[in-house]
Amino acid sequence: MTDTPLFSTAPMLGQQSRWVPRLFHTLRARLIISVALVHVVLMGLFTWEAVERQSHELRQEMVNQGRSLASLMVVASTNALLAEDLASLAEVTRRVGEREDVSYGEVVDVRGFVMASTREGRVGRQVGPVIEQNDQFPLAVDDRVLDLREEVLIENNRVGFVVLGLSTTNLENALTETRNRGIQYTLLALVIGSVAAWLLSLAVTRNLHELTLAAKKIGGGDLDARVNVRSQDETGTLSRAFNLMAASLQRSSRQMEQEHRKRTEAERLACVGEMAASIAHEIRNPMVALINSVKLLGNAQLAAEDHTAVVDIVNTESRRLQRILDDFLMFSRLPAPRLEDGDLKLLVEQTIGLISQDPRYADGIRFERRYEEDNRCRFDPDLMRQVLLNLMLNALQAITGEGKLIIRLQRTGDRLNVSIVDNGRGIPADLMSEISKPFFTSRKEGTGLGLPVVQRILAQHGAVLNITSREGSGTEVAFDLEVTNDG
Amino acid sequence: MPDPAWGAFAIHNFLRCGRLELGRRFGWPALLLALLLSAGVSAENQEPGYLRFGVLPLQSPTKLAGMFLPLTGYLGQQLGRPVQFVTSSSFSAFMEKVAQREYDIIYLNPMLYGRSRQYGYRVIVKVASEPFTGILVTRNSGPIRALSADSLPSGIRIGFPDPGAFAATVMVRDYLNSIGIDVDRQMQVQYFGSQDSAILALHNGLVDIIGTWRPSLRSMPQAVREDLQIIAETPPQPQMPIAVRDDLSAEDIDRLYRALVGLAETEHGQTIIKQMGFKRGFESAADAEYLEVKP
Repeated sequence: MTDTPLFSTAPMLGQQSRWVPRLFHTLRARLIISVALVHVVLMGLFTWEAVERQSHELRQEMVNQGRSLASLMVVASTNALLAEDLASLAEVTRRVGEREDVSYGEVVDVRGFVMASTREGRVGRQVGPVIEQNDQFPLAVDDRVLDLREEVLIENNRVGFVVLGLSTTNLENALTETRNRGIQYTLLALVIGSVAAWLLSLAVTRNLHELTLAAKKIGGGDLDARVNVRSQDETGTLSRAFNLMAASLQRSSRQMEQEHRKRTEAERLACVGEMAASIAHEIRNPMVALINSVKLLGNAQLAAEDHTAVVDIVNTESRRLQRILDDFLMFSRLPAPRLEDGDLKLLVEQTIGLISQDPRYADGIRFERRYEEDNRCRFDPDLMRQVLLNLMLNALQAITGEGKLIIRLQRTGDRLNVSIVDNGRGIPADLMSEISKPFFTSRKEGTGLGLPVVQRILAQHGAVLNITSREGSGTEVAFDLEVTNDG
Repeated sequence: MPDPAWGAFAIHNFLRCGRLELGRRFGWPALLLALLLSAGVSAENQEPGYLRFGVLPLQSPTKLAGMFLPLTGYLGQQLGRPVQFVTSSSFSAFMEKVAQREYDIIYLNPMLYGRSRQYGYRVIVKVASEPFTGILVTRNSGPIRALSADSLPSGIRIGFPDPGAFAATVMVRDYLNSIGIDVDRQMQVQYFGSQDSAILALHNGLVDIIGTWRPSLRSMPQAVREDLQIIAETPPQPQMPIAVRDDLSAEDIDRLYRALVGLAETEHGQTIIKQMGFKRGFESAADAEYLEVKP
């Protein structure tokens, strides 16, 4: 099973695919799109159905009107056709031609001669090929005239016929207008629906927005953040639950804070007690030696040689007490660091030079330096010198006889890694957890405050001391310092 | 560019109707040219070859068509070429077309036939039926009970189809004049355009008496007939003739004659005769029979 980090930035399971724009992840956008889609689909279907129905009705009405008109022409022109009364026939076609939608209208006798026509110059001509049956919708693509034919019958005997052409332009215009109106209504519905959806989403997400802000405040540590609950809907319920959760979280936080304070106080008291015990322990030995020595010095019978030896003891133990107190004061009263840019290599070299003058460590120790070309970083020179000195002395004190000390400055990104490696006896694994505690030391003359002082100084520099050791092989201590920016 | 069909129609009608006039005005070369054009156009366009059967507008065109379309259909079958039924809006318009020789065959009254002769029409058959008479018809509930010059109420309104209607107008006027009634002085005269209109005018009380003829009265609905009564009948004249234009081929004339005379011999022919309101179809007629008919 793979653990998912608590603050992982990886996409959660079920998150949207990357190809979906981020805008569509919001509830508001989804609501608006859904409502708009429903409006468009429903209105589109309604418009399409209405246009189709109206188209069918208009076409059917046009056909019916055309047939009625043709029938009327037949009735009106029958007698005149039989009587070859061209004037009466012309009157019929003239009146028919007055209609806006009539493209042409003609009365034809049984021989096929046009007896009257709405078109100039047609009378007396043979009508030519005419339709055998009335046109039906839909017409051909480029046909804009509905052609109709009505026989003039007298007791089933054909005496002529009427041909009539109705322009579909008005029909097409009406259908286009209907279609356009439908599109306009659809767009209007789309706009109204979108606005309504936007208002609805606004009402829904307003509380969610406040919830989000409150959650962010709580995440930022402001446990007093609450949501102002107004609505009685689901978001209102969610807001009330959120407030309850926040109140519970605040109570828990206060309890935890109190617990932490108590525990810290207890630890502090324990630490004070431990330190007091350690100080007492460290001071008691030299103090006992001093007291006993002072008693001996008060003995008149003390031999001159013994007197000298006792005086040496007094001096030695006094210096020891002095050192203990100095270390303790340094530990407890570290000055505030004054960070400045500087070349750490120079400080390392100065420290090595200082140690090299000490006869206890000058012989048998080889210093190996590994530097970067640019070793500048931010540090307090006095405090950092103390750090380097303590760490190098610890390393040298771990080496018996000849040995090697590697000092490496390595740049990793915006940090400069400082590493000091010795090939001494190393630290037993069971002591690794103890070496950082104040007054822990494995050396008789040590105070046990060197490493704690290093750790406090490094903490002031924003760094942490890492100790890696293998018993019998050596120890590496390392920390990182902030690199100085060139710019 | 002129349409050949229209050219054919115009030239055909023009030449057909106006050859004699053309000959009179422009001489025989023009007539010869017209004949050549006519022949050329006819050969080129192969017209349907309709024979035009003109019927005097004795009744409404639709009613006339109902009566004569079966006959024209029958004649078309017998002649092997279609026969077109045509009528006219009035007697005068009909005679104008007769004068223009627009009809190949005409059916008209004996008096107008006399006039048509000068345009080249000759009778071949006549209606074989009752005597050709005019009748005087009144409404049962009308003011006229008997027809005499002495008892005629004043202000009587009389209706006729048309001044040219031979039986209904001319013969009836002659008859009334013979019994001492001066129509124009003693009556208010109205013309209604057709036999049917005159009969319906009487039925509806627009006039008190009308002149008409028996076939038209028989063709009326029963309710109309029962409302009317015949109070007088004129002396007979030669029956309604069917005449042909003199440029019809002898073969067509012969076929037409045989078809008409033999119409009553078949069951189908009897149906046609009945449809026309006649009793026995047609019989042979001579031009001389109509010489005595005077308008």
